[in-house]
Amino acid sequence: MKKLLTLFLAAFFAVTFSTHAFAAGINSAEQSVLANMRTPANMNGTSVYVPDSYINQAEARFNTIDMTEAQASEINSNISAGRAFIEGTGKSSIKELSTEEKQTLLSYASAAAAVLDLVTPAGVNGDRVKIVTKDGTVVMDETENVIKVTGSADITPTVIAVSVIAFLLTVSAGVLIILKKRRICYEEIEQ
Amino acid sequence: MKKSSSNTRSQKKRKKLFKAVKRFVLTPVLVCALMYAVIIAVGYPMMSDAVSIGSMLFQNNAPSFSREYENIFTPSDNTGDKVDASEVVYPSINKQFGKISIESADIDAKLFFGDGSVPLRNGVGVYAGSFIPGYGRTILATGHNNTYLNGLKKVKKGDIIQIRTSYGNYEYKIVKIAVKKADDKTAYDLSAKKENLILYTCYPFDELGLTEYRCFVYADKVSGPEIVGIYE
Repeated sequence: MKKLLTLFLAAFFAVTFSTHAFAAGINSAEQSVLANMRTPANMNGTSVYVPDSYINQAEARFNTIDMTEAQASEINSNISAGRAFIEGTGKSSIKELSTEEKQTLLSYASAAAAVLDLVTPAGVNGDRVKIVTKDGTVVMDETENVIKVTGSADITPTVIAVSVIAFLLTVSAGVLIILKKRRICYEEIEQ
Repeated sequence: MKKSSSNTRSQKKRKKLFKAVKRFVLTPVLVCALMYAVIIAVGYPMMSDAVSIGSMLFQNNAPSFSREYENIFTPSDNTGDKVDASEVVYPSINKQFGKISIESADIDAKLFFGDGSVPLRNGVGVYAGSFIPGYGRTILATGHNNTYLNGLKKVKKGDIIQIRTSYGNYEYKIVKIAVKKADDKTAYDLSAKKENLILYTCYPFDELGLTEYRCFVYADKVSGPEIVGIYE
């Protein structure tokens, strides 16, 4: 009986606490989305492409999930609608879009992300694009800079400690000088 | 006469007060500050292990074993030519999925997917807009110049970079080392269809903060299994 209970509990916890780990692979539905992302938008005669880094990040994400044909169809319709929208603005680049137009474009992107239960929490904040899952796991956190700042690592506590010590030393030295000066003055008066 | 003697007395009192301030306030503060400076400058690297053990032994609350990242790396002995995509678990952001080492440069670090603060605090991070080893595309990896990738200053052309993952072990040969501006978009090609590894860190190597330049180390794949069957 005890063994049976142990087996049951082991099976229960294994199912409850297991995390899904998908094997790498891009199925036909995911391939259709990637192909759609690679299709340029014709903005006033200029071909505008989604950056490679964005498409690669989508591919990385697709390697960790299994997208269905229905999901792909909904995502593709949002991508196509977004492309048609920017082509209809009459502008020549994304930078020329007004804030309202950028918001509309973002709404198509958000709708596409929502199909996969993803959210864009703060919208497009400046040049930063952030996409997270509903439980807050970061899927994409992209700034305009592909190359990162790598000139320091966790030096903040040391900087604070050294600054406090330097401040204390400066104040103490200042007070000491004032005291010494006053003492000299008193000695002069006494003489 | 009385006035001058009372003046002298008050001056003596003040002198005593100043002496007391100097002796009991200023000197202890100065000594304390100096001692802390010495401890931080000299002792901290040696004490950090003892402090962490001490804090583990004497903490008030129940210990937490949660980590800021998940590790999906289990060493593999696969040095073959191919590995099926169905055997590869593609890492998500902030997960450790391997180890990277350059023997000639004393570099040996954990390898993460993503190059945000968590990966760079704990090792070397692969940019999520690039790919993992074996994928046949560009791998753009980075680390801090004052920690895990400080050894990049020792590398030279021909040195071997080793990457170990759960699905295979890889070797890349350094073919080029170049210092370029951080915003130089020609420093990398994320659309390349040939497997290549680009490792970079801030330059100069011993400078902290916002440096304008990066040292890029370019390497070509020498060995390791190619992931096949990705596009189903």
